[in-house]
Amino acid sequence: MTRYHPLVKRLLDGESRLAELPPELQAEGAEALRLLAVADRTPVSLPAALDARVMTAVRAGGRSPSARLWRWIFEPRELRFRVRPWVVGPALAAAAALVVLLNRSPAPRRGGSTAVVAPESALVRFVFYAPAATRVAIAGTFNQWDQSAAPLVRAGKEGVWTVTLVLPRGQYQYAFVVDGRRWVPDPAAPAVDDGFGRRNSLIAVGGGGRAL
Amino acid sequence: MGLQDEATDGAVVRAVLAGDVERYAELVRRYRDRYARYAARMLGSVDAAEDAVQDAFIRAYDELARCREPDNFAGWFFLILRNRCFAERRRGKRFAGNDLVDVEARAIATSDRPDVLVEAKEQRQALQRALLTLTPEQREVFVLKHVEGLSYEEIACRIGGSVPSLKMRMHRAYDRLRVHLRDRI
Amino acid sequence: MPLVLLAALPVRLTAQQAVTARLDGRVPPAVAAAVRGLTDSAVARGLPAGPLVDKAIEGAAKGVAPERVLVAVRLVLTQLDVADGAIRGGGIGAPDAETIEAGAFAVAAGLSGSEIRDLVKVSVPPYTPAATLRVAGTLAAMGVPPSATLKLIRETVRSGGATADLQRLPGSVQAQMARGQTPAQAAAGLARATAARGSPPGGPKTGKGSGNPHRP
Repeated sequence: MTRYHPLVKRLLDGESRLAELPPELQAEGAEALRLLAVADRTPVSLPAALDARVMTAVRAGGRSPSARLWRWIFEPRELRFRVRPWVVGPALAAAAALVVLLNRSPAPRRGGSTAVVAPESALVRFVFYAPAATRVAIAGTFNQWDQSAAPLVRAGKEGVWTVTLVLPRGQYQYAFVVDGRRWVPDPAAPAVDDGFGRRNSLIAVGGGGRAL
Repeated sequence: MGLQDEATDGAVVRAVLAGDVERYAELVRRYRDRYARYAARMLGSVDAAEDAVQDAFIRAYDELARCREPDNFAGWFFLILRNRCFAERRRGKRFAGNDLVDVEARAIATSDRPDVLVEAKEQRQALQRALLTLTPEQREVFVLKHVEGLSYEEIACRIGGSVPSLKMRMHRAYDRLRVHLRDRI
Repeated sequence: MPLVLLAALPVRLTAQQAVTARLDGRVPPAVAAAVRGLTDSAVARGLPAGPLVDKAIEGAAKGVAPERVLVAVRLVLTQLDVADGAIRGGGIGAPDAETIEAGAFAVAAGLSGSEIRDLVKVSVPPYTPAATLRVAGTLAAMGVPPSATLKLIRETVRSGGATADLQRLPGSVQAQMARGQTPAQAAAGLARATAARGSPPGGPKTGKGSGNPHRP
C-alpha cells in the first residue's frame, strides 16, 4: 500500500471527483486530497532591494557578487544603528552612504517638542560596487557635477569603491561616474529623473529646524 | 516613467541591447515576484529564492543577446531561473524552513483557533520537507500544478515535454510523497 | 515707474553676472546664452535662477547634446512655475527661493500642484513648508504614492513631534522597504502607528482652511 491507485491519481490530477471513486477507494482518495490541501500556496514577495543589487551587478558587467559582500553593503541594520536622528537621508538608511556627525551647534536647545541638534555639516561615506571599473568618481550638486572633484578609491579587492565627503546640511542630487563615461545612480538611494533620460540619486544631510 | 512602464518586454529588451542598460531595471521590477513562489517552493526557503532570482536576473542580462524572443522575456527568464533552482538542489543545499515557520507563527498569533493552525502548519512543513526529497523534476511538476495552479498543457508549454511524460513524472511524485507522509497528513 | 526700473536694474545685473560667472567655462557659449535668457525670465517672475543654472551645468557635465540641455532647463523652469503657483495657493503670498526650489523638487519627484498646495497648508510651525516639501518629494521619489505621502505627513504633523520626526520619515520608510514592504505599505504602516500614538494636548494642529502662518 505504498502507491496510490491509478484512479486516485486521476483524482489528484483533477480529472475526476471523489464521489466518482468506487467505495473501496473513497478513503484513499480522501487521504490523497489532504495532501493537496496542505500545499503552501502563500504568495512570495521579494524585497525591492533585490532590484538595486541586480542593477549594480549588471552595470558592473554582470558578475554575481558574493552574498556576504552584498550583505555588508546593503544590510540596513548596520546603518540604522549608526545613523542618528541628526542626519537623516534615505540614501543613508539604504546603506550607500554612511554619515558621521562632524559639527554640532554648541548645545541642543531645549524647547519642548522643538528641541533640536543642528549639525552644520557631516562626513558622508559613499560606497559603490563596481568590480570591472578602472575608476569611479562621484559628481553632484555638491561639486557642480565635476567628475574630477571626488574620485572614489578601491576598498580591498572585492570591487568596492568608497569616498568620504564633507557635506554641509542640505539636499543633494548625485550620481557615480564609472570610467569617466557611464553615469550611474546609486542603487541604494531614491532617485529622480534628471531630465536627460537618466536618474539622479538623492541624499539629504539634515538637522533640526529648517533643513532636511 | 509612465510610458516606460507600458513598454512591452520586447521593446525593453531591445533598448537594453542597444545600450540603455538602466531599462533592464524595468524587467527586474516586472518579474521580481512572478516566479518567487516557484523558486521558494523548489528551494525550500524564501531566502534561497531571493538569491536564485537575483542570480537569474544577472545571468539573463549576461545572456540577453541570446534571448530569441524578446517579447517572451518572461518565459525565457523562467527557464534561466529554473536551471538555477535545479543546480542549487543538485549541489545538495539543505532545506531551511525558518521563514516558513515565521509566517506560520504570525498566523497563529492572530488566529482564534490556534490548535487547528498548528496542525496545518505541521502538515504544510511536512509536505514541504517531503517535496525536497523528490527529484527536482518531480518536485517542479508538483509545484507548477498544485502550487502555481497550471494545467499539464500549460506546464508542457513552459518547460517542454509531453503531457503523458509529465503525468508519469507527477504520478511517481504522488507515490513518493505518500511514502514520506504516511501517518502525517 | 522708471524709478522702480532703475532701482531694480543693478540687482538684475548682479544676478545676471552671477549666472554668467557660473556658466562660463562649464557650458558651451550657445547654451549659456540661451540659459541666460531663461534665467532672466525666471527672475522677472520672482523665481530663483539657481536651479536653471544647476541643470545646465549638469547637462554639460554629462555630455548631453545642447538642445537636450535646454529642454531640461525649460522643464525645470516649468517645475518652478508650478511650485510657485501651488505654494501661493497654499497660503504663502511671497514664497522665498528655498521654498520654491523645494516645491520644484517635489514636482520633479511626481507630486502635483494640488498636492503641493495641501502640503503647504499642512505645514504649521515648527514645520516649514520647505522642509515638508523636501520630505514629501523624497518619499515620492522612493515610490510612496502621493495620497500615502500626504497622509503620513499629515499624521506626523498632527502628532506634534519635533521637526526631526518629519525628517526621519524617509529613513523609516526605507527601513520598512528593506524588510520587504512596498513603499505604500511602509508609509501606510507608519501613518497608522503615528495616528495611534495620538496628538498631545496643545500640539500643533493642521490648520485646515485657516490660511498659513508662514505667510509673510
